[in-house]
Amino acid sequence: MTLSVENLTLSNNEQHLFQPVNFTVEPGNVLTLMGPSGCGKSTLLSAIAGHLSPVFLLEGTISLNGLSMIEMAPDQRRIGILFQDDLLFPHLNIWENLAFGLPKTIRGTARKEKAIATLQQIGLRELAGKMPTEISGGQRARISLMRMLLSEPHAVLLDEPFSKLDKALRSEFRDFVFEQIRQQQVPALMVTHDDDDIPDGGSVLRWPWAESPQEGRGLLC
Amino acid sequence: MIRLLYLFTLALCALPFVPGILGIIIPAFSWLPSLGLTTPNLSAFAAVAQWPGLTQSIWLTLFTGLGSTGVAILFCFLILKQYWNSPRWQHVEHSLSPMLAMPHVAFAIGFTFTFSPAGWFYRLLESIGFDTNGLFSLIKDQYGIGLLLALAIKETPFLLLMSISVLQQIKVNSLQAVASGLGYNHNESWLKVILPQWLPGMRLPIFAVAAYGLSVVDVSLILGPTRPPTFSILVWQWFNEPELTLLPRAAVGAIVLLAIALLSLGIIRVAEWYLLQYCRQWQINGPSRVRSNDSTNMSLLRPKRHFPSYAPFVLIPVLVIPVLVLWSFAQRWRFPDLLPSRYSLRFWQQESLSLFELAANSISLALASSLCSLILAVACLEYRQQYQRGIPNWLIALPMVLPQLSLLFGIQITTFFIPGQWYWFWVAWSHLFFVFPYLYLALDGPWRNYDIRLDQSARSLGLNGWQTWWRVKRPLLLPAIWLGFAVGISVSLAQYLPTQMLGAGRISTLTTEAVALSSGQDRRVSAIYGLLQGVLPFIFFTMAIAANRYSARFTRRTQQQRRESPDDIICGKPHFK
Repeated sequence: MTLSVENLTLSNNEQHLFQPVNFTVEPGNVLTLMGPSGCGKSTLLSAIAGHLSPVFLLEGTISLNGLSMIEMAPDQRRIGILFQDDLLFPHLNIWENLAFGLPKTIRGTARKEKAIATLQQIGLRELAGKMPTEISGGQRARISLMRMLLSEPHAVLLDEPFSKLDKALRSEFRDFVFEQIRQQQVPALMVTHDDDDIPDGGSVLRWPWAESPQEGRGLLC
Repeated sequence: MIRLLYLFTLALCALPFVPGILGIIIPAFSWLPSLGLTTPNLSAFAAVAQWPGLTQSIWLTLFTGLGSTGVAILFCFLILKQYWNSPRWQHVEHSLSPMLAMPHVAFAIGFTFTFSPAGWFYRLLESIGFDTNGLFSLIKDQYGIGLLLALAIKETPFLLLMSISVLQQIKVNSLQAVASGLGYNHNESWLKVILPQWLPGMRLPIFAVAAYGLSVVDVSLILGPTRPPTFSILVWQWFNEPELTLLPRAAVGAIVLLAIALLSLGIIRVAEWYLLQYCRQWQINGPSRVRSNDSTNMSLLRPKRHFPSYAPFVLIPVLVIPVLVLWSFAQRWRFPDLLPSRYSLRFWQQESLSLFELAANSISLALASSLCSLILAVACLEYRQQYQRGIPNWLIALPMVLPQLSLLFGIQITTFFIPGQWYWFWVAWSHLFFVFPYLYLALDGPWRNYDIRLDQSARSLGLNGWQTWWRVKRPLLLPAIWLGFAVGISVSLAQYLPTQMLGAGRISTLTTEAVALSSGQDRRVSAIYGLLQGVLPFIFFTMAIAANRYSARFTRRTQQQRRESPDDIICGKPHFK
């Protein structure tokens, strides 16, 4: 599974948000996209996820496994997205939130078992019956990542996923996220403005995104 | 001072419940010494139980009341699903106020003129060569289907309006974006993510709609079934029985109506619990993902294929008004003709004197009750801000969710014991009782959103309490006050039962006359009253909107806007503070 973007530009009526951008993300890798506020990084993510507002015009191609995503509805793209807010469904408890993400092929009681097993795996078994408001921010972030991964996405988008967590939680959750992505072998695209977020050995695309991605932070600093 | 007003409001809003309840329980046991009934017994209960057609009429009530609520909820949900956050939502939202301003009675009269067998809709069918002879009539049909539909259509805009604040508290866009990332399409995410959060937030409005539908008298009189009628009409008939010793029977009826309403609200609550809390499996059984490699896809075609589900709620009221206008000017209008063959001003001239008098009655009652309610509501909200203690929400909700007929019945019985003929005063008070909750709720949001630090800085600049209110808070909240005032006036103008019951028939307003004339022979006179009854609140709403614009002109504050594009949820960065 490979996520690739070719000559992608976004423009509103009068101007382009950025120069045509090209990149390819291999399964299990994380490409970090960096840029100042307002440069359009999140708009780019929304274009890839399929939520682009009609005021923008998209040119270029987005493909996943060689399949063009442009005409697809967001729910058919199989691209999971993780926001800075955890966005757990407030009407469902923790295990139900996880089960919500499971594909339909898992039926009946197997859904609950799978959800509980996932909780067990990340060491949060005791949270199963709690409501989202009853657990900590760090726990919510983990649950919401696992919920996305349970839906078996073919690619993952991370929209400043760590920016709302405090320092101590951040590095711990960061490692957790990258570990899970490696295990699931999905390509991941992350936008951030914090250098600390770049995973070791991951590629980085810095503003302006015209040149090709560079290796790791070591090369840049 | 403010504390005094607060206590006064509590008294004014809570006191009627005591006589309201006592006033139906005591006479129900046939104890009315002033009428010579001095030995309590159960004969009235027996009289009600033996009434022919009682079960049928109770079933009709449940069918029309709960049915219209269900249909309205369904319509509302479908419209929200289709339009919320779409560019066309603005149009929907703008069309809500005129729809809400139209009183039930005017709508019902217009609905009758449009959908009765000789109505305009049938004329239209005839003119396109469709034989309407023997076609099912929606007006006064024995199953109450016309009543059900009219109520559902009239209540949908109300539920839509109430949904706005509920949905604003749910992060609809972001939750939907997450759900679609998990493979849920638009419809599924509305059903499984938004509905379970929207419905509990809509509990009070739904209760209000259900209670109204179950106990409505004026609309059922105009287009409800007659043999047997819905139960509320039956009680109304018993109540109007000239033979006073039969009053206990009406009191029992009022109790039964109250029981039906409370039971139905319980049923609705249990249904909600069952669907959302008990049966949770459907909410988490996964997305029905269509084959993901299917590139021909619905998202691009979808906007074209959608049926404009909001159309009936604009079309029917828009159709109803011109029909009323036509009838009011018609002199000769034979059945299959689409338009009258001769027009005349005669009926307007003939009615003009009494129209002025009735309109003056309506307006003076509306202004008096709304002004008092406004002062009381503002006082209560200020009291809440100062002492962190407001009127309990259930007390505000009670007049909205209890059947008017039952409550007023008790209050009226009580007024018998008070000497003197204070009809105008009683009517104004009963209007106030029903106006106050709506006005209070309309002002509640703006008062909560008001930044109290503005007051604090004004005080520290040397203004006293009154000056701060008058020079800082009032100008900022004036737009909300105008609209709240218009809501109050329109509620008061629409009151039928309170005017009729507490005025003992001596106080007539446009509404009571419109209802009385709707069963009369002359459609043209009925159309005039229906039209005016519908137009009056509309005038006040327009005035309020104009005043609102005028007041808002001084404040350059840009109103907080809802995020419009779905893209914003992803662009919307946290503002690190």
